[in-house]
Amino acid sequence: MKNIPREDIHNISRHISLTEQVMSRALKENVYNDKEAWQKFLRLLFLTLGIGFTVAGVFFFFAYNWASLHKFAKIGLAEGLIISATLLTLSPKINSDVKNVILTGASFLVGVLFAVFGQIYQTGANAYDFFLGWTVFVTLWVFVSNFAPLWLFYLILINTTLVLYSQQVAKEWSEVFVLTLLFIINAIAIVASYLLIRYRAAYAVPVWFLNTVGLAAVSCATLGIVIGIFDDYQIVFPVLVLLTVIAFSLAFWNGLKEKSLFYIAVIPFSLIVIVSALLIKVSNEGAFFLLIIMFILISVTLVIKNLIDLNRKWTNEK
Amino acid sequence: MKNKDNVKELLEYFKTVDNREVEYDEEAIAAAFHNNEKQSLAIKVLSVLGGFLASFAFIGFLLIIGLYNSGIGLLIFGALFIAGTIWVTKEVNKSIFATAGVSCFIVGFVLIAFGLYELKMAENTISVVFIFIALLSLCVVQDYILSFVSVLIINGSILILATSNNSYSIIHIYVAALTVAVTYLFLKEAKVVTVSTALSKLYSPLRIGLIFSFFSGLTLLSVKGILSSMPGYTWLPSVVIISAIIYLLPYLFSVLNINNTGHKWGICAFSVLVLLPTVLSPAISGALLVILLCFLVNYKTGLVVGLLGFIYAISQYYYDLNFTLLTKSVLLFCSGILFIALYWFTYKKLH
Repeated sequence: MKNIPREDIHNISRHISLTEQVMSRALKENVYNDKEAWQKFLRLLFLTLGIGFTVAGVFFFFAYNWASLHKFAKIGLAEGLIISATLLTLSPKINSDVKNVILTGASFLVGVLFAVFGQIYQTGANAYDFFLGWTVFVTLWVFVSNFAPLWLFYLILINTTLVLYSQQVAKEWSEVFVLTLLFIINAIAIVASYLLIRYRAAYAVPVWFLNTVGLAAVSCATLGIVIGIFDDYQIVFPVLVLLTVIAFSLAFWNGLKEKSLFYIAVIPFSLIVIVSALLIKVSNEGAFFLLIIMFILISVTLVIKNLIDLNRKWTNEK
Repeated sequence: MKNKDNVKELLEYFKTVDNREVEYDEEAIAAAFHNNEKQSLAIKVLSVLGGFLASFAFIGFLLIIGLYNSGIGLLIFGALFIAGTIWVTKEVNKSIFATAGVSCFIVGFVLIAFGLYELKMAENTISVVFIFIALLSLCVVQDYILSFVSVLIINGSILILATSNNSYSIIHIYVAALTVAVTYLFLKEAKVVTVSTALSKLYSPLRIGLIFSFFSGLTLLSVKGILSSMPGYTWLPSVVIISAIIYLLPYLFSVLNINNTGHKWGICAFSVLVLLPTVLSPAISGALLVILLCFLVNYKTGLVVGLLGFIYAISQYYYDLNFTLLTKSVLLFCSGILFIALYWFTYKKLH
């Protein structure tokens, strides 16, 4: 029997007396990382640090805005770096992990290029069109590499562009409307990932990616609804509520089907926050607050009880 | 690991590892495993969040109805809340009460703070009382979530003691002490969990609690503007942290099968050289230490916390540097090339 979880090893030591040596050996054999894992980890760490620092160095170089450097040289330099990085990823000698990290670095360099452009033509560094350009021109690489960190970065770019657009151009958009849009974008990303997993088994989407984007989507929906509850009535609010109901039901059903606790924990918590907000809206008198506290305690306890039961049922089925 | 077969298999494994005859009661162990199962991270996080949410609502309630005028009354209620939580957790020990437990525990502390404040006690007294109560709770009950919250309360009280008295140098000593404690806890896991049942139960909450405490101390030391004046001796925690990293290296050598003495010395010297420029920013080496320790013992939650801390510390470091952007750019670029070279070097060596 291999790979005994750490909790079980700790737990058994409370019932039979084990010496430190035995415990140490058990932990080393079952839990601790071995030589191979360390090699992979160190290589990835050095590579990420290397490319990260180098790209940051390039960022700072252009941020310095060297006056004696002609604008043609500046843009040429930025483009040259992008082209050489991209060419490097075409080399057949390099393995795909390294290529993905390099392509992620190149995607950052596209941002540098647009920043330099903005610097020369005075378009401003936080203008939404800077992020829009950045988003549009890394799209192809994101799709080609199919590298989860790059996808996450891409989603962050899209979200940032949208938020800046609403602040700089579409100033009449309400907060609820912006949050609804953000919710839709992130929810679409998750649905697409699940469809890919279902119909194209070759694409491995890591769980941390799904959960991070899922958390973002649920947070947008929750925040949107809570603000909507306290704001004046807007036409977009019922739409958000309807979309949230559909998305939450789908996600919850998916969690039950896939035996993953993530959505089954996150969605009820979001609902508890929303209901608490509703209760505060109804009345914010002292005694009513006690009711809210009771509601939170009882509902969270019930959710946890169900989670524990489900977890137990699923582990026994395995 | 719920059913008896698994427990049997587990015991078989330990028989092969341990040559001595071990006495045990299989039924009792199976029963204990059934009661004391591992909870997923989602459940732990939900319990703590739910607890915080309910405590905030309760504090809101207190403020609205103005029930904070009688100091003694608040103290008594606070003590009752904390004692009740500890008692229920010890007697019942079921994870479903975790949220209610955490909120009562925190509300108890808040009530005591309000009470002592009403009685015109100083911040120092409140902090010391908090530390005392949290320590007592750690000794009495070793529930995961309560212990975690207790460790955080102790850490917060120590930091408040140091900052409110303007004795910032205590923070240096505290962070240095935390470095030693965290390193010991990770490297001597086998020793700590075999000492006693209580310590074995305390191990996990202590580990994550100390990591958070360590980072909170480092944040105070590294982010400008939190403390009214930057204390001297910033190098003190750095020296301890870098020593801890060097102390850790032999463990890595043995995992990675590095036996050549020359290589070993080279790696040690190189690590010191790379870390030396960060001596005034202990957060960088601190985060690196946490990353290495967590990866060594395969502790994923800590690893993620360490990596996030590391990225933040590095950004803060370059942001604060008093150089022109051009110098910063050259520094960053050179570091980048250095790490890419390291990558190539390890790639060639390890293949």
